[in-house]
Amino acid sequence: MRNAVRLVDVLDRMEAGPIIEEEDFDMRLVPETMAELQAKYDISIPPDAPFVPDDDALADRLFEAGLEMAEAIGVLCTDTGRRMLWTRSEILDAIGIAPDHLTVGAFPDAHTEYKRLPEDTRRITIKGGPVGTPSPEHLYVAIQQSYAQEPLVDLMIDGSLETVYGREGRSHSPWEVLLSWHEMEMVLTAVQRAGRPGLGIGCTENSVSEIGELTVTAADRLGPHHWHHVAMISEFKTNYALMTKVAHIHKTGSILHSFYNTIYGGTAGGREGMAIAIVGGCILMQMAYMTTTHSVSPTHPFYGNTTSPDILRAIAPAQQALSRNTHLLNDVVITPVGGPGTKTLLYEVAAQSLLAVSSGAAALIGPRSAAGTEPGHVSGLEARFMAEVAHAAAGMSRAEANRLVAEMVARYKADLDQRPVGKRFDEVYDVVRVQPTEEWLGIYEEVKSELRELGLNLDSAAAHDCVGRSTTV
Amino acid sequence: MAEITEQLRAELSEALRQGDADKAEALTRQALDGGADPLEVIQGIIVPALTEVGQLFQEFKIFLPELMLAGEAAKRATAILEEAIAASGQASASLGTVVIGTVENDVHDIGKNIVSTLLSSHGFKVVDLGRDVAPSAFLDAALKEQADIVAMSSLMTTTRPSQRSTINLFKEVGEREKFKIIVGGGSVNQQWADEIGADGYAADAAAAVELCKSLIQVS
Repeated sequence: MRNAVRLVDVLDRMEAGPIIEEEDFDMRLVPETMAELQAKYDISIPPDAPFVPDDDALADRLFEAGLEMAEAIGVLCTDTGRRMLWTRSEILDAIGIAPDHLTVGAFPDAHTEYKRLPEDTRRITIKGGPVGTPSPEHLYVAIQQSYAQEPLVDLMIDGSLETVYGREGRSHSPWEVLLSWHEMEMVLTAVQRAGRPGLGIGCTENSVSEIGELTVTAADRLGPHHWHHVAMISEFKTNYALMTKVAHIHKTGSILHSFYNTIYGGTAGGREGMAIAIVGGCILMQMAYMTTTHSVSPTHPFYGNTTSPDILRAIAPAQQALSRNTHLLNDVVITPVGGPGTKTLLYEVAAQSLLAVSSGAAALIGPRSAAGTEPGHVSGLEARFMAEVAHAAAGMSRAEANRLVAEMVARYKADLDQRPVGKRFDEVYDVVRVQPTEEWLGIYEEVKSELRELGLNLDSAAAHDCVGRSTTV
Repeated sequence: MAEITEQLRAELSEALRQGDADKAEALTRQALDGGADPLEVIQGIIVPALTEVGQLFQEFKIFLPELMLAGEAAKRATAILEEAIAASGQASASLGTVVIGTVENDVHDIGKNIVSTLLSSHGFKVVDLGRDVAPSAFLDAALKEQADIVAMSSLMTTTRPSQRSTINLFKEVGEREKFKIIVGGGSVNQQWADEIGADGYAADAAAAVELCKSLIQVS
């Protein structure tokens, strides 16, 4: 890939960039830069701002702020204590050669993800799966199959394993090797059982250190056509282990997907700082990791979700900033507080899907139900729901999306601090037939009816993926 | 002991809220030089000021940098006051000592930092071991600091077993009963805490403060 030619140069910067104490980076450089740029570019997102703003000027100012942030802060490698820095010109050159579309998976299930604009009529890519949520080992295959067998799921993303052969896993040890192999063996079984052997898989979710990724990323294992993950640590940090993954993924010619979870109220600040951090963070992942797709999952420090009102108000303008000013492939991760069997989960998923689709995201990832922390509290039905709402919203104006998001937020806002984690997979699915229970299906149909009553056309041809550019065989 | 003037009280509170550690330190020395009771400075000024700062953070009226700067200012002021208390032979003003860290192989420390600062703001002495902390490092620090509570954070499923290993190490060397051990973090819940034999679990930073208070029976 063209942007991967910078690999050695990036590693050089990791070894030779300016030295900074981590505390100085966290407590001075990041917050001071955010405050300065917020003022310079007049970035204001009041507490009663629309969830989906229709303000292109704000989006464009946010992009400039994020670009300048990326140049000013760079990425700190905590192992070398040095910042990797790039000039504005170098950043723009790198963004320019980054891909605007990407085919993931293998025949006959390969899928192409495309860059989208705000209010774009083009269908959004659906990356369904529990996004690292721990799952009981005995349920893992059925859980992954529940996503893979959903026809609207274009690509799958893995959960992680609670145990391996009944033993506790442990990162940065031989256990991580076994965990990652176990994940590989079981997700490949799941896609085979679902009848989609070439489905693109987001992996390796059990590779916290570099060991798991090094073990299973190879042509004869989780091959280059899957999408391999590397995190950027909040805020704007990396280390040797993560950069080892980057080097390995590029040298094996694999697809690199990076992700970054900026923390609401953290060193980047509140709504405005978070919006700037999302833009700048995506740019920095492109610079440090030479990535093909990026996702952001701005996280609430107490609930661990992405669906709190203040966070939604940061995601939408930031996504619009990236979509309007770059062709980077930016994905939005949905992390609701609610779990399977609750209406809360579906309201949260609907709100963030509508917001992301109308703001120009290239893909939706998840949902990472119950904030990704309750073992096995995930199921494929919520990915089906996410896709149906998203496709029904293709081409929707931001104003209309805002109206619907506000309706959804009003229905779940009070539930957030109750943490309605719902039920485990085997309580909402028949685990042998791998089908949702009547009870869970009934709740799903009820919420769909509520959305229809609010005016979302879930029965249109577009909502059923009959029109638009579908590139899945 | 002399009364602390209202002006000094207000200035020190403000320095703490603003996270101005140098000023907080100077004002604390000024209070001691004026004959103030160090316990009164801690309980009447520092704890209320930091409690207010912690509340502002929980309401997102301020953000992590302001919270941590205030915590650092309070730490420096408290260190001076604790010295004075020790010199006078009085009992420590701290609610208790908490040794805290993110477990081995886990580098995610933002959540732990929030908990650490909020605990300090509520009057605990906090010994923060940072991230990627080995079980033996928790044990050494707990013994050295004569901790009341050991608090471990873990974000990842594959790093949380280190919480169990740490508790097991405390048991193996016969030191488990000396300490309350609590756990938290993204990959942790009450069920896990019960399974590994922890004394408590908190879902967020505010709950962690309440948990610590309840474990050492502070109203």
